Amino acid sequence: MKKKKVISALLVAAMAASLLAGCGNEGGNPTTGGQSGQPVGGGESSQPTDGGESSQPATGEEQVLKVAAFEGGYGAEMWSEVVAAFEASHPGVTVELTIDKKLEDVISPSMKAGEYPDVVHLATGREAALTETLTKENALLPLTDVLEMNVPGENVKVKDKIIPGFLDTLATNPYGDGVTYYAPMFYSPCGLFYNAGLFKEKGWDVPTTWEEMWALGDKAAEDGIALFTYPTTGYFDAFTYATLSSAGGSDFFNSCMTYEDGIWESENATKVFNLIEQLGKYTEATTVANANNDNFTKNQQLILDNKAIFCPNGTWLPGEMKDAPRADGFEWGFMAIPAVNAGGAGCSFCWFEQMWIPAAAQNQDLAKEFVAYMYSDEAAQIFAKSTAIQPIAGVSNYLEGDNKMFYSIYDNGATAVMGGFASTAPVEGVNMLDVLCGTVNSIVSGDKTVAEWQAAVESASDKLRAAME
Amino acid sequence: MKRGRARSVFIGICVAPAVILFIIFMLIPTINVFKMSLYKWGGYSNNKTFVGLNNFKILMEDMNFFRSFQNTILLIIIVTIVTMALSLIFAAILSREEIKGQNFYRIVFYIPNILSVVVISAIFSAIYDPNNGLLNSIIGIFRGSDKTPILWLGDQKLVIYSLAIAMIWQAIGYYMVMYMASMASVPQSLYESANLEGAGRVQQFFSITLPLIWTNVRTTLTFFVISSINLSFLFVKALTGGGPDGSTEVFLSYMYKQAYTNSSYGYGMAVGVVVFLFSFGLSALINFVTKREPLEF
Repeated sequence: MKKKKVISALLVAAMAASLLAGCGNEGGNPTTGGQSGQPVGGGESSQPTDGGESSQPATGEEQVLKVAAFEGGYGAEMWSEVVAAFEASHPGVTVELTIDKKLEDVISPSMKAGEYPDVVHLATGREAALTETLTKENALLPLTDVLEMNVPGENVKVKDKIIPGFLDTLATNPYGDGVTYYAPMFYSPCGLFYNAGLFKEKGWDVPTTWEEMWALGDKAAEDGIALFTYPTTGYFDAFTYATLSSAGGSDFFNSCMTYEDGIWESENATKVFNLIEQLGKYTEATTVANANNDNFTKNQQLILDNKAIFCPNGTWLPGEMKDAPRADGFEWGFMAIPAVNAGGAGCSFCWFEQMWIPAAAQNQDLAKEFVAYMYSDEAAQIFAKSTAIQPIAGVSNYLEGDNKMFYSIYDNGATAVMGGFASTAPVEGVNMLDVLCGTVNSIVSGDKTVAEWQAAVESASDKLRAAME
Repeated sequence: MKRGRARSVFIGICVAPAVILFIIFMLIPTINVFKMSLYKWGGYSNNKTFVGLNNFKILMEDMNFFRSFQNTILLIIIVTIVTMALSLIFAAILSREEIKGQNFYRIVFYIPNILSVVVISAIFSAIYDPNNGLLNSIIGIFRGSDKTPILWLGDQKLVIYSLAIAMIWQAIGYYMVMYMASMASVPQSLYESANLEGAGRVQQFFSITLPLIWTNVRTTLTFFVISSINLSFLFVKALTGGGPDGSTEVFLSYMYKQAYTNSSYGYGMAVGVVVFLFSFGLSALINFVTKREPLEF
C-alpha cells in the first residue's frame, strides 16, 4: 500500500519535472533559420574559412558577428553569399546569419530578453514596425562614423560611395537632426505600372499630365477598362509622398513629413487630396473589396487582364506576378507619377530598405565594419545578381531587360522623392499612415468626404507634432 | 494523524505541477498585463515611464477603439444567436429524427471546425470574390440586368456581416456536436409519454429537450463569448486585415495594432485589460442571467 503511494508520488514528480524542463531550454542555440548556408557550427575549430592558411593574422582572436536580415523578394541566397565573402575577407570572423521572411517574429523574443543581433537589415514601413519601434525608443546606434570609414578593401569613404541625396532624407536620418541611423540598402523606384502592349494595341499615348490621364480614363471607360487600381491602400504612402513633393516641392514635402502646423490644410496638400479623390472615381469597382493582404494580387491581376490600366507599385511587382496569366501581347510599362502642377516634372518615390545597428549590440565595431562592407564593389555585385540594387553609383548598370527600364526612370526627367514621416515618441491611438493611406478606401467607396479625411490627417499631424522631440 | 499528513503532502505534490504551471503561465502574465497598462513603453527598450491611468484616459477618447468595441459586440451577439439557434435545430433534427445518412451530416457539419482559420478565410475569400465568387454568381442569376457586383469585403456596411457568416459557418458543427451529446442522454421515455399526451415536435423541443440540456447551453454561452473575441481576431487578420479603412477592426486586432505597429505596448495592454474585464464581466452576467434550477432526469 505504502509502496504504491511512493511510486505514484515519484511518477507525479517526474511528470512535473519533465513539464518544467520544457520551459527552460532556450538561449543556448541561436536561431539560424536553417538557411544560412555557412557552417556556423564549426566555430570552435580554428580553421580559416577559405581552407588555406590565413596569411594576415588581422584580428587574431575569434569573433562572432550576429547578422539578422529580412528575406525579401530578392531571396535568401545573396545573403549567404555576402556573408561568406565577408568571412573570407575578414579572417577569424564568424557570422551567425538569421534570415527570415518574418524576421521580427524570429528576433524580437530574444531582443526582449536583452539579446540583440549586431546588425539588422529590416526596412521601415512593415506591419510589425520593429524598426520604427526601436527608433521611437532611441535604441539605435548612430552611423556617423561608419560613413567616415573607408569601405573595406577599397580606398573610398562610405559616404562618398553612396549616391548623393540618399543620406539627407528622413528615411536615413529618422529624427530629422542630420544624424544617420539607417544605412540605405536596396532601393526601388515606385511609380505607375501598366501594360505597354495595351497602349500599342489601342493606339493610346501614355499620359504625361493628369489632364491627359482623366481624358484617357474617359476613353478607356467606353471599352470597359478602368483607369486605376491599387493593391492595398498601403501603396498610397509612396503615391502621396511623390504627389506632395510634386505639388509643393521638396521643402513642402519635408514640412509635411515633420508635421508642420496647418500643412495638411494648405493649398498644396489640398491639391493632392483632391487628386486622389478624383482618381477614386476612376478606380476599378472591385478594388476596395480586394485591397487586403489576402487578395491584393487580384487587384494586381487587373493590370495583366487589361481590366485596369495603372497600378502604383514598386519594381518587385513583375517578379511577384511572374507566374500569373496575362493578356496576349502583355508588356510591362512603368512611368513616374505625372506632375501635379501643370508644366512640372513627374515624380517617383524612391523606396529603400535599411540596415541598422541596435544600440544594445555586443559587437559594435565589427558591426560597423560589416555595414561598411555592404558598400564594397564585391558585396554590391553579389546583391545585384539578385537584382537587389544599392544606392551606389553605377550599380544599376549591372541590370538587364525590364529592370533596366525601371531603374532608368530618374534618367528620364522624373524627380526622385525620398523620405518618410519623421520619427516621434509613440502617440497612443494615432497612426499617421493609417489615417493618411487607410482612408483612401473610404474615399473610393464614398464613405468619407475629402474634407473629413483632410481634417483627420491634420489632427493626427497635430498630435504627432507634440510628440516630436 | 501521521497518515493524514502524508496524505496532504501527497495531494500537495499531485496538485503542485498544475498550480505551478498555472501561476507561471496564467497568473503572472495576467498580472503583468495589468501592470504594463500603467506604463508608456514601446516594448523593447528599458525606457518605461509610469503614467498611471493615462492610457485608460486616452482610451476613453479613442474613437477607433470604440469602433472596435462596437464591432466586437456586434459579432458576439450575431454569432452567438445565429450559431446557437442553428446548431440547436440541427442537433435536434439529427438526434431526434430518423434521417438517412445521419452520420454523414454529422461529419460534414463538423469539418469546418477542424479546418484552420486561415484555410476558412481562403475559402471565404473565394466565396466573396466580387467577380467570380460563388455568392455573387448565385445572386447574379436573380438580379437580372443589374451587373454591379456586391462587394462583400469592400462595402463598409456589409463587411462585418460577411465576417460573421464565416464565423458562424465555422462554429456550427462544434456546438452541434456538443448539443447532440447532451440530447442523447435525455431519456427516450419522456418523449414517448409526451407523444401519448399529444405534444408536437416543436413543443417537445421547447418543453423537454431545451430544459434538460440547459446546463450544457449555459456552458456553451460562455464559450461563445470567449471564442467570438478570439476567433474574430484570427478571421480579421486573415480575411480583411481590419479594413476597409478600419471598418472590421475588433478588440484584439486593435490591441495588436497599437501594441506592435504603433509601438505603444503599454496602450495595447490597456486595451487588453479592458478586453479582459469585459469578457470576464460578460461571462459572469450571462451566467447570472441564465441561472435556472437544474432539472434532473
